[in-house]
Amino acid sequence: MKRGFALLETIIVITFVTVSLMLLYGTFTSLIEKKEENILYDDVSNIYQMYYLKEYLSLYGLEEVNTKKHVELTCDDFSISTCSSFMEQMSLEHLYLVSYGLKDYDGMSTSLRRYLSSLSNKEDYDYWLVGEFYIEDAYHYASIGVMHDE
Amino acid sequence: MMNKRGFTILELLISILLISIVLLLLLRVMMSLETINHDTSYASDDEIRRTEIIKNVEESFLDSSLNGLRIDSLNDKTVLTFLMDEEQTLEIYQDHLVFQEEVYSLESKNATYSSCAEYKYFDLDEDYYFITITIPVLIDGVNTTSRDDLIFSYLGLKNEFTSYPDDTTC
Repeated sequence: MKRGFALLETIIVITFVTVSLMLLYGTFTSLIEKKEENILYDDVSNIYQMYYLKEYLSLYGLEEVNTKKHVELTCDDFSISTCSSFMEQMSLEHLYLVSYGLKDYDGMSTSLRRYLSSLSNKEDYDYWLVGEFYIEDAYHYASIGVMHDE
Repeated sequence: MMNKRGFTILELLISILLISIVLLLLLRVMMSLETINHDTSYASDDEIRRTEIIKNVEESFLDSSLNGLRIDSLNDKTVLTFLMDEEQTLEIYQDHLVFQEEVYSLESKNATYSSCAEYKYFDLDEDYYFITITIPVLIDGVNTTSRDDLIFSYLGLKNEFTSYPDDTTC
């Protein structure tokens, strides 16, 4: 018999190849996400910057800020005249105070959600002070725990 | 009966459509891989060592209260002298650093430390200041990304002995 492929045969083969490639895609995607997390999340130099920032903002009432979920902190929340240029100096684009162990990410950007879901929440803090750094066309994140009555 | 028919146009179109979808997905993966390509030139051993160096230097800043800085460029090295309770130096050579008598060598063959350490002083208010010191890491002689650089920062309380030089940029 010299007949060519039937549509059904072609579709079965393509489906098989597609499923295989999709599995490969899934594996690569998770590897890339892990790698991105290593590069973009909690770089040690960013963590120390967040630590110093927390220490400094504590002098201006950081621990008095209260939220049940999350709040974006701006320079208007602190009476620091050099606040904007200080944030610029650190390449810090946004600053958030996020309730510890928060699972409801409504109103947050996708990149921030992904970062928050990667946090371990094993320590006993009241909030995360999360910094969103904009470095070389990418958002980097770092955070430090905050106690409300610290 | 012998069936001699090959593909119809419809079959071809469906096949091309399915293959295109798969190739588009793969293209996206390849583009993502391209963005993280730089890391292949900076060995994972160096990434771990980078974290270790930054942590050790920052901890010494915090333990001994950094109060000033001196930057000296010598023939084969740049020396950062941290003025603390007890002076400490960080010696920067092309292929290694020396801090607290410990040598931190670069594992990546094409990576080197730049002899030009960048330093910035920021006056926060009349009591506090903030500094950042950056030691660029060069890949094949070029600082391709700041992600590999060693960046130290410090929030300090001013006193009569506080002494920092003017900002230096590379």
